[in-house]
Amino acid sequence: MKPLLLPNRLKNIGWILLLPSFVAGLVFIFFENKLPNTKINVFGFFGDAILSNKLEQLFRVSSVDLIPNLIGICFLIGGILVMFSKEKKEDECIIQLRLNSLQWSIFINYSLLLFCFLLVHGLAFLNVMVYNMFTIIVIYILRFQYLLFNHTIVKDEQ
Amino acid sequence: MNNKIKVERAIHNLTQEQLANLVSVTRQTINAIELKKFVPSTVLALKICRVFNKSVDEVFSLESNE
Repeated sequence: MKPLLLPNRLKNIGWILLLPSFVAGLVFIFFENKLPNTKINVFGFFGDAILSNKLEQLFRVSSVDLIPNLIGICFLIGGILVMFSKEKKEDECIIQLRLNSLQWSIFINYSLLLFCFLLVHGLAFLNVMVYNMFTIIVIYILRFQYLLFNHTIVKDEQ
Repeated sequence: MNNKIKVERAIHNLTQEQLANLVSVTRQTINAIELKKFVPSTVLALKICRVFNKSVDEVFSLESNE
């Protein structure tokens, strides 16, 4: 069974989206208060209406902050392109590295989440949920690039 | 799983790169198989044996604890 993978040319586009959005995400985390207000009106699902029993307002136009949404969208698109684009020569050994990286990322992601369940409580847990959205992608990419580097650097034995 | 790919390559005067191209994988994969870091699929094992014109059990064999 062949895995579902995207063409190799999308990998570079993925990196172009992923790296700047990763840096922008870090900047946003540390300097959120100093950044200019970029609220725009968008149509969407606003779950807060459930709490106030105004169900007719679930779908409406409302004001949201553009920067974090834009960073998140770019990071996810970039991450998915990097994760699921083929290598220049994709063979079954690379597929094995992909599986190993996926196992690692899922295992570490949920270990971290379990750790946070035990130690982080209240509103701070909301931050954990936000970071947790991206950890699988980050860990997968780090592990896969490390394995790929080790796989590529082989003893020159012809 | 043991294999005699390195020996067979020497007999057939093939480099890892040449064998890799013949079976459509990377040279690193052939290297990983030779070093027993990676066990090839049945399809890849058959392709490698076809290059050497040998049967699978002439090239690949189980280790004593397998």
